[in-house]
Amino acid sequence: MDTGIRLALTLGQISAVMVAVLLTVAALTLLERKVLGWMQDRMGPMEVGPYGILQPVADGLKLFFKEDIIPAGANKLMFSLAPILSLVPALIGFAVIPFGPDWTVDVGGVNFKPFVITDINIGILYILAFASIGAFGIILGGWSSNSKYSLLGGLRSAAQLISYELNVGLSIIGVLLLSGSLSLVTITNAQAGGFWNWYFFAFPFPQAVAFVVFIISSVAETNRTPFDLPEAESELVAGFFTEYSGMRFAFFFMAEYANMILVSCVATVLFFGGWHAPFEFLQGPESWHWLTGMIWFTIKVYGFLFLFFWLRATLPRLRYDQLMRFGWKVLLPIALGNIVVTSLFAYIFPGN
Amino acid sequence: MKLKKWVKTLIFYEIALGMKATLSHLLHYKPITLQYPHEKKSLPSNYRGMLALLRYDDGTEKCVGCDLCEAACPSRVIRVVSAEVPGEPTKRYSKEYYMDMTRCLFCGLCVEACPVDALGMTQEYEWAVYDKRQLHLNKEQLLAIGDRNFPIREKRLEFQHPNVAYFNVGFKELPQKEV
Repeated sequence: MDTGIRLALTLGQISAVMVAVLLTVAALTLLERKVLGWMQDRMGPMEVGPYGILQPVADGLKLFFKEDIIPAGANKLMFSLAPILSLVPALIGFAVIPFGPDWTVDVGGVNFKPFVITDINIGILYILAFASIGAFGIILGGWSSNSKYSLLGGLRSAAQLISYELNVGLSIIGVLLLSGSLSLVTITNAQAGGFWNWYFFAFPFPQAVAFVVFIISSVAETNRTPFDLPEAESELVAGFFTEYSGMRFAFFFMAEYANMILVSCVATVLFFGGWHAPFEFLQGPESWHWLTGMIWFTIKVYGFLFLFFWLRATLPRLRYDQLMRFGWKVLLPIALGNIVVTSLFAYIFPGN
Repeated sequence: MKLKKWVKTLIFYEIALGMKATLSHLLHYKPITLQYPHEKKSLPSNYRGMLALLRYDDGTEKCVGCDLCEAACPSRVIRVVSAEVPGEPTKRYSKEYYMDMTRCLFCGLCVEACPVDALGMTQEYEWAVYDKRQLHLNKEQLLAIGDRNFPIREKRLEFQHPNVAYFNVGFKELPQKEV
């Protein structure tokens, strides 16, 4: 009985989060085009529905009814596996993100946390691990297409993801040192009480530098401009998904946007206090925390997503050697230095 | 100087500058887009659009079948088959008149060349078709284009003998009836 209730609750939670994430992906495809258009003195999509708000529906329908082409000489198994390998790790990371307060509700004798699917004690490690698996999808997709553009895109993304994943991992260690936990719920709870408690500003050593490293590295990890070398459309047609069409292409596309959302969620949770409001009074009374918490979380995540679009509208693409040099010679030492300084401060001011 | 450069690099000065520029475009959003099928640009009066054959105000064709447009055309768009008006041996007309608009480059030389102003350039430009053969126009189609674009027609000069192929250009200095 307990197992049944737990299963039903968890499945309900998973489907709620999935629907929310996929709806956000759909919204992002439109928002990105709109924001880019506005920044470039254009209008963006205007035809489908009023002000083009139904564009994601039209895009989805188009991709759904498009012919699914498998190129001659492609490895059929890997070719069809790659989009799934790319999308699933991007979606699976949301399992450990706390979207709201850390409440435990008793439903028919089952302890149930309504705002986080599962609070595992290695949450951030789990996200990083699955983000690395996402790279396999890109590399396999590039390799199995039997096309030189795809292969070059896949190779580039392999090198890029490995280099920048390291920086992501190292930049968050400062936060982990200060919070003393890998669980995202614990990290969020440690940042309660106002924006000065967020790890971006936190007392022993503000993690602002680490945050900058994290954001740059995660832009690189999600293959977004200015680090979009794997899919550089002016150099490699479309990079690793050159040969993909229809729903398989849509999977890669959704994976990219889901990764963006995931990275924004992680940045929010680690550096900007998760669902906590910048001031205590903005959070409202205790019983309203679930609503204000979700609202604040959404605002912060959309802020980061806007930052992604903003960067894309502003910056040109890096050259490949610049990318590598920047990752290994600039970001890596900064991240390492941040760890050293943070651990020193954490030692001098224990208990914070 | 070196220090200043370093500080600028550290605080992402150039990136911040660029991002400020893009943000200012977002905040002062003034799109330069023309929503084409819904909004259309107003064309200049001398716009060189679709070609058309014209008529006099009594409904007779202006074209006298002189072939000068065919000779003037640089891309061989026009083909004229000239013939005598039946029963009027001094007067000619274009029995058949074809334009292959797939080749036309809208230079307007045929209009310049026409001695009787029988050709006109309209303001029409939406001539995309699914079948190229729809752009091979015959005389009736060209006259129809002229009819719908030039509702006010030129008057036939009163002293022109109906049996004479009359060239407007040769008699500029003679008094002409007001249009």
